[in-house]
Amino acid sequence: MNLAWILLFLPLVIAAANQLVLKKTGLAPIVSVASALATFVIAVLLLGEEKTAWFSWATIGDFSIDIGIKLDRLSTGMMIVVTGVGLLVHIFSLAYMKADEAKARYFTGLSLFMFSMTGIVLANNFIMTFIFWELVGLSSYLLIGHWYQKDSAADAAKKAFLCNRVGDFGFMVGILMLWGITGALSFDQMKGGLEAFQHANAPIAVGVLSAAILCVFCGAVGKSAQLPLHVWLPDAMEGPTPVSALIHAATMVAAGVYMLFRVQLSLGFENFEALPASTVIAWTGGLTSLAAALMATQQDDIKRILAYSTLSQLGYMVMAVGLVDGEAGMFHLFTHAWFKALLFLGSGALIYACHHEQDIWKMGGLLKKMPITGITFAIGTAALIAVPYVTSGFYSKEEILTAAYTHNKVLFGIAVVVAFLTTFYMTRAYVVTFLGKTRSENADHAHEVGPLMWIPLVLLAAMAIGSAWLTGPLNAIDPRIHAPEHAEGHLVILSCSIAALVLGLFTGFVLYNGKEKDPLSIPLFRNRFYVDGFYDNFLVRYFQDAFAAIIAFFDEFIINGLIVGGFSRAAESTGNIFRKVQSGSLQGYAFVFGIGVILVVYFTTF
Amino acid sequence: MLALLVFLPIIAFIAILLGAPARLTAIGASAVNLALGLFAAITWHNAGLWSFSIPVLEKPALNLAFGFADGMSAIMVLLSVIVTLAAVLSGKAPEGKEKLYFASSLLISAGAIGAFAATDLFFFYAFHELALVPTFLMIGMLGRGDRRAAAWKITIYLGLGSIVLLAGLVWLANLTGTYNMVEMVKGAEKVDPAAQKSIAALLVVGFGTLVSLFPFHSWAAPAYASAPAPVAMLHAGVLKKFGLYGLLRIAIPLVPEGLHYWLTPLLVLLLGNILWVGWVTISQKRLDLMLGNSSVMHMGYIFLAIAALIAFPENPLARSAAIVLMFAHGISIALLFGLTDRIERNTGTLDLQDLGGLAKSAPGLAFLFGIAAMASIGLPGLANFSGEVLVFLSAFKSYNGTHGLGPVQIACIFSIWGVVISAVYMLRAYRNIFQGPSVKATATAADLTCADRIPALLLILALFAVGLYPNLLLNLL
Amino acid sequence: MASLNDYLLVSGLLFAIGLAGVVMRRNIIIVFMCLELMLSAANLTLVAFSRFNPTPNGLPDYNGQMLVFFVITVAAAEVAVGLAIIVALYRARQTIHTDELTSLKG
Repeated sequence: MNLAWILLFLPLVIAAANQLVLKKTGLAPIVSVASALATFVIAVLLLGEEKTAWFSWATIGDFSIDIGIKLDRLSTGMMIVVTGVGLLVHIFSLAYMKADEAKARYFTGLSLFMFSMTGIVLANNFIMTFIFWELVGLSSYLLIGHWYQKDSAADAAKKAFLCNRVGDFGFMVGILMLWGITGALSFDQMKGGLEAFQHANAPIAVGVLSAAILCVFCGAVGKSAQLPLHVWLPDAMEGPTPVSALIHAATMVAAGVYMLFRVQLSLGFENFEALPASTVIAWTGGLTSLAAALMATQQDDIKRILAYSTLSQLGYMVMAVGLVDGEAGMFHLFTHAWFKALLFLGSGALIYACHHEQDIWKMGGLLKKMPITGITFAIGTAALIAVPYVTSGFYSKEEILTAAYTHNKVLFGIAVVVAFLTTFYMTRAYVVTFLGKTRSENADHAHEVGPLMWIPLVLLAAMAIGSAWLTGPLNAIDPRIHAPEHAEGHLVILSCSIAALVLGLFTGFVLYNGKEKDPLSIPLFRNRFYVDGFYDNFLVRYFQDAFAAIIAFFDEFIINGLIVGGFSRAAESTGNIFRKVQSGSLQGYAFVFGIGVILVVYFTTF
Repeated sequence: MLALLVFLPIIAFIAILLGAPARLTAIGASAVNLALGLFAAITWHNAGLWSFSIPVLEKPALNLAFGFADGMSAIMVLLSVIVTLAAVLSGKAPEGKEKLYFASSLLISAGAIGAFAATDLFFFYAFHELALVPTFLMIGMLGRGDRRAAAWKITIYLGLGSIVLLAGLVWLANLTGTYNMVEMVKGAEKVDPAAQKSIAALLVVGFGTLVSLFPFHSWAAPAYASAPAPVAMLHAGVLKKFGLYGLLRIAIPLVPEGLHYWLTPLLVLLLGNILWVGWVTISQKRLDLMLGNSSVMHMGYIFLAIAALIAFPENPLARSAAIVLMFAHGISIALLFGLTDRIERNTGTLDLQDLGGLAKSAPGLAFLFGIAAMASIGLPGLANFSGEVLVFLSAFKSYNGTHGLGPVQIACIFSIWGVVISAVYMLRAYRNIFQGPSVKATATAADLTCADRIPALLLILALFAVGLYPNLLLNLL
Repeated sequence: MASLNDYLLVSGLLFAIGLAGVVMRRNIIIVFMCLELMLSAANLTLVAFSRFNPTPNGLPDYNGQMLVFFVITVAAAEVAVGLAIIVALYRARQTIHTDELTSLKG
């Protein structure tokens, strides 16, 4: 168990040491990488353990908030993803951030992130989840805003934090309500409390529980960037690319899915299934995946394409959780983490080679110049578009499609369309970037990146293919273990997904091969359904700011001016009346004094 | 010992007036006091060590008496001594005004410590008033901007609030027949229900004005914006907590039913603090005004804990939650005001429009301010989060799902939205001041020197200690 | 022999003259003298009452006369202080005319 505590706190110690001591020495990057390696080793050593341990963080009487570690299949499997991808990203960053003058700050942020993410994964109670939930938000804020002198990066960081905060508002309310319902903060005791509640208050249990679950889901909407809070994730690509790979593709954004699954597990699947809330969750996920895939088809920035693709895949996972088949969602999370990290790091290598050029229309023909990156990127793409039988993505996507097929045929339809769109936009991205001829000077000078960059790519490519077979040894959640080999509708699902793949590859290749610029132009998708504009212009500028200005006006003029000012003016005018008496004439005073004496004598004597 | 803790600042005050070197004396006295305060917080149980009493009047029995009735007093005294040291360390007096500047700061500190340690109602009140006088004077004489108007406003508001409060306190003292606060609480049953309602109203309005409860809040922002740094730090950080302390110490034990009668209005008012003032804060264009308003806003959370305690008196969480948040807010707002003063000294402006990119030229300042801003937002690991999460839990402690949401829970849900609001204005300010490209005011701005960082680090240490392990504070209770 | 009423009448007249002077005269020295007049009126009353209220052993009530001595002493001191103030006032303002001394006007 001590190992688990080390796993949790080592990155924090490293982050503190980096910031306080090692900042000026140049050792910070190495120390961070060493810590990532150590955590990975510990995570491997912890595989298969099932234990809990905790200490009291805040005690009041017999109430206590704990910081606890819960090791089970779910958390140890997830730790492999976090530390594994984390380690490779750390190594990749060594090369990618070599020339950056604020390297120490960057690696401090990475270590802080590793600490926070570990906390979410290992948490044994809701308050602890919330604590680390906020901390990953902070590390994401710091890393997105790494190049804070760029306005766009600073704005993106702020936006990410605020969107997450909006989600956390609901999350906190949900935690409090669940606490009220079940009387427990710890995941282990939740089910018992819930059953007692259902027993006592059968008629209202479904409604109250649904409300609580939906509030908790708000947290996942923020963190996993589901509709309508998805706007921050594409902007978050302003951060350094390795950060996008680790935080905004593989781990942090998946935390929402992880947390939902943890809740599902704690409350019991059967309790979850009956709730209307689960339908809402499934549809949110489905619609997010569709909308994001549509937006991805028209983006030109390679990181944004991948960001929308991440959104879309997260939508898949959330949908699976909503369909009460969270295992499928977690399985997809596991495979997706590897190949999406691969794609992002690959794009990072491209951007690095092309001198920070991110527009795919200014790349082209890079397969010949950067064969390792090109091939690994192709493997990642293949996994993402789910090439049958040879890639891990195929198996996990199949599980999600099965879940949708069994529970909700409309969502199944959406999922298949998304699968087609995914293949289409990834083919577009690959064809435009790697094939054809180079279309800019920066791309002309590109050449293969160094081993510190391509070794992580190769390792991730291996995982992109192999992770579906490694779920056993790596302890990852895998629904195939207890599912029948060929479930009902197996052939329909398989044929649908292969049809989507072939159709997507075909249209993508035909439309984009050898093109100089985008033959399609769909402003609605390109402009992301105008949601961002609506938020910026309407919600922020007209609603929030104008509202704030109106309130401030009222505060200044009604409360301060009229009510308080009214009192002060009333006092002043009363004073002005009595001021006339104060004539300053000595004789006047004496006269009044005399009259007063006479009156006193008169009234006392007569 | 306790007499020393209370009177050391006063002795130093007199020494400064008699010609001792102002800054050094102030720092020395505050440092000794900090040591004493830490010692007091750990050993407050020892009544022999930490009590002190001199009879002043025979009839009615009035004693100049100090002691720690419970851990709350000890924690508030600890807060006072920490903030005092930070305040005198980070203050920079205008030329030739050192005496006034540091002597006044010490007097404010003495008043605050005296009020928190007093066990006698008269001195509890009198020490707070003692601290207000130098506050007004400093704002009026050494403040910046529209200092006269601000000084007038705070004087009138707090004067009126104190008078309303005095009426309530005297009424209570007459009903219970003693000025000793411990005895008063023991005689709580003498306060009949009819009087409770009126006394509760007087106390809520009186203490509320001192804590800037909505709608008696409009003194706070201009006063803090105009005040010299140590005064803003000491008043917003420490002295303002007097009202909350009073509610917890006197109002809740003595007039619980009366407060219960006013629960709904109180909930509405505290939402006014959090939401209304929150939006006012968003629209501020200057950092100092923004922070002043934000300190008003955050009072709402402590009132929420108090409301939870009123609604459900057996609530074990609410009182502790309120105390932790009082401590946390005191430290964090003092830190923010101290650093804001630095920003102004180093760049010459606090207008958000004129700032930008300061992190480039002053990374140390940016780092420390970032921690302070994150604390104020309520980020875990820093003390404010511990307080806020306990407040929210305490509001939901009486919720059992069967009866649906009660008024306190509904108010709590609205309050949680305040967490979003404070993130909006804090991050916006941080973005405008420290991030983005450098501008004229910030391009050559100086960073903090090592000595400048000491007060900030002292406060940050306290924030981290309570934030990472709140039991440190909770165990003192 | 004059009765108590005669004394009181004279004393009342003296007091009325003094008060009228204080209220009506503008020269502050005259006002001051009128004040003294009012004090004398009070003294006269005291002495008169002392004379006409014998104690049981037939002697006058000397308490009243004692008080008169106090009043005279205090009045003397008062004159000294008052004149000093007037002189200081004249030095500062170059006038002792009450109409021109209205800095207390609100």
